[in-house]
Amino acid sequence: MAKLIGGLGSSHVPSIGAAMDKGLTQTDDWKPFFDGIGPGRDWVVANKPDVAVVVFNDHGNSFFLDKVPTFAIGCAGRYDPIDEGWGPRAIPSFEGHAELGWHIIDRMVENRFDPMIVQEIEVDHGIQVPMELFFGKPDKAWPVRVVPVFVNVIQYPIPLPSRCYELGQVLRRAIESFPGDERVVVIGTGGLSHQLQGARAGFTNPEADREFLRDIAANPGRLAALSREDYVRLFGSEGAELMMWLVMRGAMDPEVVVRHSHYYVPASMTGAGMLVLENRAA
Amino acid sequence: MEDRIPETPLFDRSRQLRGYRLNKMAMGLVDPANREAFRKDEEAYLDRFGLSAEEKRAVMARDWQDMVRLGGNVFYILKISAISPARMTEIGAHQAGMDHETFLRERLGKKPAGGP
Repeated sequence: MAKLIGGLGSSHVPSIGAAMDKGLTQTDDWKPFFDGIGPGRDWVVANKPDVAVVVFNDHGNSFFLDKVPTFAIGCAGRYDPIDEGWGPRAIPSFEGHAELGWHIIDRMVENRFDPMIVQEIEVDHGIQVPMELFFGKPDKAWPVRVVPVFVNVIQYPIPLPSRCYELGQVLRRAIESFPGDERVVVIGTGGLSHQLQGARAGFTNPEADREFLRDIAANPGRLAALSREDYVRLFGSEGAELMMWLVMRGAMDPEVVVRHSHYYVPASMTGAGMLVLENRAA
Repeated sequence: MEDRIPETPLFDRSRQLRGYRLNKMAMGLVDPANREAFRKDEEAYLDRFGLSAEEKRAVMARDWQDMVRLGGNVFYILKISAISPARMTEIGAHQAGMDHETFLRERLGKKPAGGP
Protein backbone atom coordinates (compact mmCIF):
# COMPACT_ATOMS: atom_id res chain seq x y z
CA MET A 1 0.00 0.00 0.00
CA ALA A 2 1.04 3.61 -0.52
CA LYS A 3 2.78 5.20 2.44
CA LEU A 4 2.26 8.67 3.92
CA ILE A 5 5.77 9.84 4.76
CA GLY A 6 5.18 13.42 5.84
CA GLY A 7 2.97 16.46 6.19
CA LEU A 8 4.32 19.72 4.81
CA GLY A 9 3.06 23.25 5.20
CA SER A 10 3.85 26.26 3.06
CA SER A 11 2.65 29.72 2.17
CA HIS A 12 1.76 30.25 -1.48
CA VAL A 13 2.22 34.02 -1.85
CA PRO A 14 2.48 34.78 -5.60
CA SER A 15 5.28 37.29 -5.08
CA ILE A 16 7.44 34.41 -3.74
CA GLY A 17 7.16 32.90 -7.23
CA ALA A 18 7.81 36.29 -8.82
CA ALA A 19 10.90 36.77 -6.61
CA MET A 20 12.25 33.41 -7.85
CA ASP A 21 11.42 34.32 -11.48
CA LYS A 22 13.22 37.67 -11.22
CA GLY A 23 16.24 36.41 -9.27
CA LEU A 24 15.38 38.51 -6.21
CA THR A 25 15.81 35.80 -3.57
CA GLN A 26 18.95 37.42 -2.12
CA THR A 27 17.60 40.99 -1.84
CA ASP A 28 17.05 42.56 1.59
CA ASP A 29 13.29 42.03 1.25
CA TRP A 30 13.50 38.33 0.38
CA LYS A 31 16.73 36.87 1.75
CA PRO A 32 15.42 36.28 5.30
CA PHE A 33 12.55 34.23 3.88
CA PHE A 34 14.52 32.20 1.33
CA ASP A 35 17.33 31.58 3.85
CA GLY A 36 14.91 29.45 5.86
CA ILE A 37 13.60 27.10 3.19
CA GLY A 38 16.75 24.96 2.77
CA PRO A 39 15.90 22.37 5.46
CA GLY A 40 12.47 21.83 3.85
CA ARG A 41 14.11 21.10 0.50
CA ASP A 42 16.73 18.89 2.16
CA TRP A 43 14.01 16.85 3.86
CA VAL A 44 12.28 16.24 0.52
CA VAL A 45 15.54 15.20 -1.14
CA ALA A 46 16.38 12.82 1.71
CA ASN A 47 12.91 11.29 1.95
CA LYS A 48 12.18 10.91 -1.77
CA PRO A 49 8.40 11.24 -2.08
CA ASP A 50 6.81 10.00 -5.32
CA VAL A 51 3.54 11.90 -4.99
CA ALA A 52 2.44 15.21 -3.47
CA VAL A 53 -1.21 15.69 -2.54
CA VAL A 54 -1.40 19.48 -2.54
CA VAL A 55 -4.23 21.21 -0.67
CA PHE A 56 -4.73 24.76 -1.89
CA ASN A 57 -7.26 27.30 -3.03
CA ASP A 58 -7.72 28.76 -6.46
CA HIS A 59 -7.56 32.58 -6.57
CA GLY A 60 -10.06 33.44 -9.26
CA ASN A 61 -8.03 31.79 -11.98
CA SER A 62 -9.28 28.24 -12.59
CA PHE A 63 -12.74 28.84 -11.13
CA PHE A 64 -14.90 31.96 -11.41
CA LEU A 65 -17.86 32.73 -9.16
CA ASP A 66 -20.23 31.02 -11.60
CA LYS A 67 -19.23 27.63 -10.17
CA VAL A 68 -17.69 27.39 -6.72
CA PRO A 69 -16.90 23.89 -5.46
CA THR A 70 -16.34 23.72 -1.70
CA PHE A 71 -13.93 20.82 -2.23
CA ALA A 72 -12.63 19.63 -5.60
CA ILE A 73 -10.16 16.84 -6.30
CA GLY A 74 -8.10 16.37 -9.44
CA CYS A 75 -7.92 13.05 -11.25
CA ALA A 76 -6.12 14.29 -14.36
CA GLY A 77 -2.88 13.02 -15.81
CA ARG A 78 -1.55 16.52 -16.31
CA TYR A 79 -2.07 20.02 -14.93
CA ASP A 80 -0.75 22.99 -16.86
CA PRO A 81 0.15 26.23 -15.07
CA ILE A 82 -2.53 28.84 -15.79
CA ASP A 83 -1.93 32.34 -17.16
CA GLU A 84 -3.25 34.51 -14.33
CA GLY A 85 -3.33 37.54 -16.62
CA TRP A 86 0.34 38.53 -16.66
CA GLY A 87 1.40 35.90 -19.22
CA PRO A 88 2.39 32.29 -18.54
CA ARG A 89 5.22 31.58 -16.08
CA ALA A 90 8.14 29.47 -17.26
CA ILE A 91 7.54 26.39 -15.12
CA PRO A 92 6.86 22.83 -16.27
CA SER A 93 3.41 21.26 -16.24
CA PHE A 94 2.60 19.02 -13.31
CA GLU A 95 2.20 15.32 -13.98
CA GLY A 96 -0.94 14.10 -12.18
CA HIS A 97 -1.43 10.77 -10.43
CA ALA A 98 -4.86 10.08 -11.92
CA GLU A 99 -5.36 6.65 -10.32
CA LEU A 100 -4.62 7.97 -6.84
CA GLY A 101 -6.89 10.97 -7.51
CA TRP A 102 -9.78 8.66 -8.44
CA HIS A 103 -9.07 6.43 -5.46
CA ILE A 104 -9.16 9.41 -3.08
CA ILE A 105 -12.44 10.59 -4.63
CA ASP A 106 -13.95 7.10 -4.16
CA ARG A 107 -12.92 6.92 -0.52
CA MET A 108 -14.09 10.50 0.10
CA VAL A 109 -17.59 9.81 -1.19
CA GLU A 110 -17.82 6.53 0.72
CA ASN A 111 -16.94 8.51 3.82
CA ARG A 112 -19.54 11.22 3.18
CA PHE A 113 -17.29 13.86 1.67
CA ASP A 114 -18.55 14.69 -1.80
CA PRO A 115 -15.95 16.62 -3.77
CA MET A 116 -16.25 18.00 -7.27
CA ILE A 117 -14.45 15.60 -9.65
CA VAL A 118 -11.97 17.42 -11.89
CA GLN A 119 -10.48 15.86 -14.99
CA GLU A 120 -9.27 18.96 -16.83
CA ILE A 121 -8.02 22.09 -15.13
CA GLU A 122 -5.14 24.53 -15.19
CA VAL A 123 -3.63 25.46 -11.84
CA ASP A 124 -2.50 28.75 -10.31
CA HIS A 125 0.13 29.96 -7.85
CA GLY A 126 -1.69 28.17 -5.02
CA ILE A 127 0.01 24.93 -6.06
CA GLN A 128 2.92 26.36 -8.06
CA VAL A 129 4.65 28.26 -5.25
CA PRO A 130 4.63 25.47 -2.62
CA MET A 131 5.94 23.01 -5.22
CA GLU A 132 8.75 25.42 -6.12
CA LEU A 133 9.60 26.00 -2.47
CA PHE A 134 9.91 22.31 -1.63
CA PHE A 135 11.16 20.90 -4.93
CA GLY A 136 12.90 23.85 -6.57
CA LYS A 137 11.94 24.98 -10.05
CA PRO A 138 12.89 22.16 -12.43
CA ASP A 139 13.86 22.77 -16.06
CA LYS A 140 11.81 19.93 -17.50
CA ALA A 141 9.82 17.82 -15.06
CA TRP A 142 8.84 17.84 -11.39
CA PRO A 143 10.29 14.98 -9.33
CA VAL A 144 6.83 13.96 -8.05
CA ARG A 145 3.35 13.46 -9.45
CA VAL A 146 0.58 15.52 -7.89
CA VAL A 147 -3.02 15.22 -6.77
CA PRO A 148 -4.53 18.69 -6.33
CA VAL A 149 -7.18 19.22 -3.65
CA PHE A 150 -8.97 22.56 -4.06
CA VAL A 151 -10.70 24.17 -1.07
CA ASN A 152 -12.97 27.21 -1.43
CA VAL A 153 -11.77 29.87 0.99
CA ILE A 154 -12.94 32.88 -1.03
CA GLN A 155 -16.72 32.78 -1.53
CA TYR A 156 -18.75 32.42 1.67
CA PRO A 157 -19.91 30.05 2.94
CA ILE A 158 -16.39 28.63 3.13
CA PRO A 159 -16.08 25.25 4.89
CA LEU A 160 -15.62 24.94 8.65
CA PRO A 161 -12.08 24.49 9.98
CA SER A 162 -13.21 21.29 11.75
CA ARG A 163 -14.49 19.96 8.43
CA CYS A 164 -11.09 20.54 6.83
CA TYR A 165 -9.47 18.60 9.68
CA GLU A 166 -11.91 15.70 9.18
CA LEU A 167 -11.25 15.74 5.44
CA GLY A 168 -7.59 15.18 6.25
CA GLN A 169 -8.44 12.16 8.36
CA VAL A 170 -10.31 10.57 5.45
CA LEU A 171 -7.49 11.56 3.09
CA ARG A 172 -5.05 9.62 5.30
CA ARG A 173 -7.11 6.44 5.06
CA ALA A 174 -7.51 6.93 1.32
CA ILE A 175 -3.76 7.27 0.75
CA GLU A 176 -2.93 4.27 2.92
CA SER A 177 -5.48 2.06 1.19
CA PHE A 178 -4.12 2.79 -2.30
CA PRO A 179 -2.66 -0.34 -3.87
CA GLY A 180 0.83 0.78 -4.80
CA ASP A 181 4.20 1.46 -3.24
CA GLU A 182 4.18 5.24 -3.65
CA ARG A 183 5.71 7.44 -0.98
CA VAL A 184 3.25 10.30 -0.45
CA VAL A 185 3.45 13.74 1.15
CA VAL A 186 0.46 15.94 1.87
CA ILE A 187 1.13 19.67 1.53
CA GLY A 188 -1.17 22.16 3.23
CA THR A 189 -0.76 25.62 1.75
CA GLY A 190 -1.77 29.25 2.22
CA GLY A 191 -1.41 31.99 4.79
CA LEU A 192 -0.10 32.80 7.14
CA SER A 193 -1.72 36.04 8.33
CA HIS A 194 -2.56 38.54 5.61
CA GLN A 195 -5.34 40.81 4.50
CA LEU A 196 -5.64 42.19 0.98
CA GLN A 197 -9.10 43.76 1.19
CA GLY A 198 -10.71 46.58 3.12
CA ALA A 199 -9.33 49.33 5.31
CA ARG A 200 -7.49 46.73 7.43
CA ALA A 201 -5.43 45.75 4.35
CA GLY A 202 -1.84 45.06 5.32
CA PHE A 203 -2.85 43.45 8.61
CA THR A 204 -0.52 40.70 9.80
CA ASN A 205 -0.33 38.98 13.18
CA PRO A 206 3.14 37.53 13.78
CA GLU A 207 2.30 36.38 17.28
CA ALA A 208 -0.74 34.41 16.14
CA ASP A 209 1.25 33.03 13.21
CA ARG A 210 3.96 31.69 15.51
CA GLU A 211 1.33 30.15 17.77
CA PHE A 212 -0.28 28.58 14.72
CA LEU A 213 3.01 27.01 13.60
CA ARG A 214 3.49 25.60 17.09
CA ASP A 215 -0.08 24.38 17.59
CA ILE A 216 -0.64 22.90 14.15
CA ALA A 217 1.96 20.36 15.28
CA ALA A 218 1.31 20.10 19.02
CA ASN A 219 -2.34 21.04 19.50
CA PRO A 220 -4.24 20.86 16.21
CA GLY A 221 -7.53 20.29 18.03
CA ARG A 222 -7.43 23.88 19.24
CA LEU A 223 -7.04 25.18 15.68
CA ALA A 224 -9.71 22.86 14.31
CA ALA A 225 -12.16 24.12 16.95
CA LEU A 226 -11.80 27.79 15.96
CA SER A 227 -14.59 29.35 13.93
CA ARG A 228 -14.20 30.79 10.46
CA GLU A 229 -14.59 34.28 11.91
CA ASP A 230 -11.83 33.49 14.42
CA TYR A 231 -9.52 32.77 11.48
CA VAL A 232 -10.42 36.05 9.78
CA ARG A 233 -10.11 38.04 13.00
CA LEU A 234 -6.77 36.47 13.97
CA PHE A 235 -5.14 36.00 10.59
CA GLY A 236 -6.88 38.52 8.30
CA SER A 237 -9.46 38.05 5.57
CA GLU A 238 -7.12 36.01 3.37
CA GLY A 239 -5.45 34.41 6.40
CA ALA A 240 -8.48 32.11 6.48
CA GLU A 241 -6.46 30.09 3.96
CA LEU A 242 -4.68 28.63 6.98
CA MET A 243 -7.54 26.22 7.59
CA MET A 244 -6.17 24.27 4.61
CA TRP A 245 -3.18 23.30 6.76
CA LEU A 246 -5.74 21.44 8.90
CA VAL A 247 -6.37 19.06 5.98
CA MET A 248 -2.68 18.18 5.98
CA ARG A 249 -2.62 17.92 9.77
CA GLY A 250 -5.71 15.71 9.85
CA ALA A 251 -3.86 13.26 7.61
CA MET A 252 -1.07 12.88 10.16
CA ASP A 253 -0.92 10.99 13.48
CA PRO A 254 -2.11 12.76 16.63
CA GLU A 255 1.54 12.89 17.71
CA VAL A 256 4.02 14.30 15.23
CA VAL A 257 7.67 15.32 15.14
CA VAL A 258 8.55 18.77 13.78
CA ARG A 259 11.50 18.41 11.40
CA HIS A 260 11.53 22.02 10.25
CA SER A 261 9.67 25.22 11.01
CA HIS A 262 10.37 28.61 9.45
CA TYR A 263 8.61 31.95 9.68
CA TYR A 264 9.24 35.38 8.21
CA VAL A 265 7.09 38.47 7.92
CA PRO A 266 6.35 40.25 5.62
CA ALA A 267 6.63 38.37 2.33
CA SER A 268 4.96 41.08 0.27
CA MET A 269 1.97 41.61 2.65
CA THR A 270 1.96 38.17 4.24
CA GLY A 271 3.38 36.23 7.15
CA ALA A 272 5.22 33.42 5.33
CA GLY A 273 5.89 30.01 6.79
CA MET A 274 7.21 26.55 6.02
CA LEU A 275 6.74 23.41 8.10
CA VAL A 276 7.81 19.76 7.89
CA LEU A 277 6.08 17.14 10.04
CA GLU A 278 6.66 13.41 10.36
CA ASN A 279 4.61 10.86 12.20
CA ARG A 280 6.42 9.74 15.32
CA ALA A 281 6.45 6.12 14.26
CA ALA A 282 7.65 6.91 10.72
CA MET B 1 -23.18 47.51 5.07
CA GLU B 2 -21.51 47.06 8.46
CA ASP B 3 -18.60 44.63 8.69
CA ARG B 4 -18.81 42.12 11.53
CA ILE B 5 -15.04 42.26 11.77
CA PRO B 6 -14.01 45.92 11.59
CA GLU B 7 -12.58 47.15 8.26
CA THR B 8 -12.77 43.60 6.90
CA PRO B 9 -15.21 42.98 4.05
CA LEU B 10 -16.14 39.29 4.07
CA PHE B 11 -16.99 38.07 0.59
CA ASP B 12 -20.42 36.87 1.58
CA ARG B 13 -23.52 36.41 -0.51
CA SER B 14 -24.61 40.04 -0.57
CA ARG B 15 -21.18 41.34 -1.57
CA GLN B 16 -20.72 38.63 -4.12
CA LEU B 17 -24.08 39.31 -5.75
CA ARG B 18 -23.46 43.04 -5.73
CA GLY B 19 -20.03 42.67 -7.28
CA TYR B 20 -20.75 39.86 -9.71
CA ARG B 21 -20.63 41.91 -12.93
CA LEU B 22 -17.62 43.90 -11.78
CA ASN B 23 -15.73 40.73 -10.91
CA LYS B 24 -16.81 39.05 -14.13
CA MET B 25 -15.51 42.00 -16.12
CA ALA B 26 -12.15 41.76 -14.33
CA MET B 27 -11.99 37.98 -14.71
CA GLY B 28 -12.44 38.50 -18.46
CA LEU B 29 -9.04 40.20 -18.53
CA VAL B 30 -7.23 36.85 -18.28
CA ASP B 31 -8.05 36.56 -21.99
CA PRO B 32 -5.41 38.44 -24.05
CA ALA B 33 -8.10 39.54 -26.57
CA ASN B 34 -10.08 41.14 -23.75
CA ARG B 35 -6.97 42.85 -22.40
CA GLU B 36 -6.51 44.34 -25.86
CA ALA B 37 -10.15 45.46 -25.99
CA PHE B 38 -9.81 47.05 -22.53
CA ARG B 39 -6.67 48.94 -23.64
CA LYS B 40 -8.30 50.13 -26.84
CA ASP B 41 -11.60 51.38 -25.44
CA GLU B 42 -11.98 50.84 -21.74
CA GLU B 43 -15.50 52.16 -21.39
CA ALA B 44 -16.79 50.05 -24.28
CA TYR B 45 -15.26 46.98 -22.65
CA LEU B 46 -16.91 47.83 -19.32
CA ASP B 47 -20.26 48.37 -21.05
CA ARG B 48 -20.11 44.82 -22.43
CA PHE B 49 -20.45 43.60 -18.83
CA GLY B 50 -23.30 45.98 -17.95
CA LEU B 51 -21.43 47.95 -15.31
CA SER B 52 -23.26 50.85 -13.65
CA ALA B 53 -21.94 54.40 -13.90
CA GLU B 54 -20.67 54.12 -10.33
CA GLU B 55 -18.83 50.89 -11.08
CA LYS B 56 -17.36 52.27 -14.29
CA ARG B 57 -16.10 55.36 -12.49
CA ALA B 58 -14.40 53.24 -9.83
CA VAL B 59 -12.67 51.06 -12.44
CA MET B 60 -11.62 53.93 -14.70
CA ALA B 61 -10.24 55.89 -11.74
CA ARG B 62 -8.45 52.73 -10.48
CA ASP B 63 -10.26 53.44 -7.22
CA TRP B 64 -9.50 50.11 -5.50
CA GLN B 65 -11.18 51.13 -2.27
CA ASP B 66 -14.42 51.89 -4.08
CA MET B 67 -14.23 48.75 -6.25
CA VAL B 68 -14.09 46.69 -3.06
CA ARG B 69 -16.93 48.71 -1.58
CA LEU B 70 -18.98 47.87 -4.67
CA GLY B 71 -18.43 44.14 -4.18
CA GLY B 72 -15.19 43.75 -6.08
CA ASN B 73 -12.94 41.01 -4.74
CA VAL B 74 -9.22 41.67 -4.89
CA PHE B 75 -8.46 38.34 -6.56
CA TYR B 76 -10.53 39.41 -9.58
CA ILE B 77 -10.07 43.17 -9.73
CA LEU B 78 -6.31 42.65 -9.33
CA LYS B 79 -6.31 41.52 -12.96
CA ILE B 80 -6.79 45.16 -13.96
CA SER B 81 -3.25 45.69 -12.70
CA ALA B 82 -1.96 43.45 -15.50
CA ILE B 83 -2.93 46.33 -17.81
CA SER B 84 -2.20 49.36 -15.65
CA PRO B 85 0.51 48.17 -13.28
CA ALA B 86 -0.13 48.54 -9.56
CA ARG B 87 1.64 46.54 -6.90
CA MET B 88 -0.41 44.63 -4.33
CA THR B 89 1.04 46.87 -1.63
CA GLU B 90 -0.11 49.96 -3.54
CA ILE B 91 -3.62 48.51 -3.79
CA GLY B 92 -3.44 47.77 -0.07
CA ALA B 93 -2.26 51.28 0.74
CA HIS B 94 -5.10 52.80 -1.26
CA GLN B 95 -7.68 50.79 0.66
CA ALA B 96 -6.05 51.67 3.98
CA GLY B 97 -6.19 55.35 2.98
CA MET B 98 -2.41 55.77 3.25
CA ASP B 99 0.35 56.74 0.88
CA HIS B 100 2.52 53.79 -0.15
CA GLU B 101 5.55 54.66 1.99
CA THR B 102 3.44 55.13 5.10
CA PHE B 103 1.61 51.85 4.45
CA LEU B 104 4.88 49.93 4.04
CA ARG B 105 6.25 51.44 7.22
CA GLU B 106 3.21 51.34 9.46
CA ARG B 107 1.45 48.19 8.34
CA LEU B 108 4.34 46.06 7.12
CA GLY B 109 7.21 47.34 9.23
CA LYS B 110 9.38 48.15 6.22
CA LYS B 111 12.15 50.71 6.44
CA PRO B 112 11.85 53.54 3.92
CA ALA B 113 13.59 52.85 0.59
CA GLY B 114 17.13 54.21 0.64
CA GLY B 115 16.83 54.85 4.36
CA PRO B 116 18.84 53.28 7.19
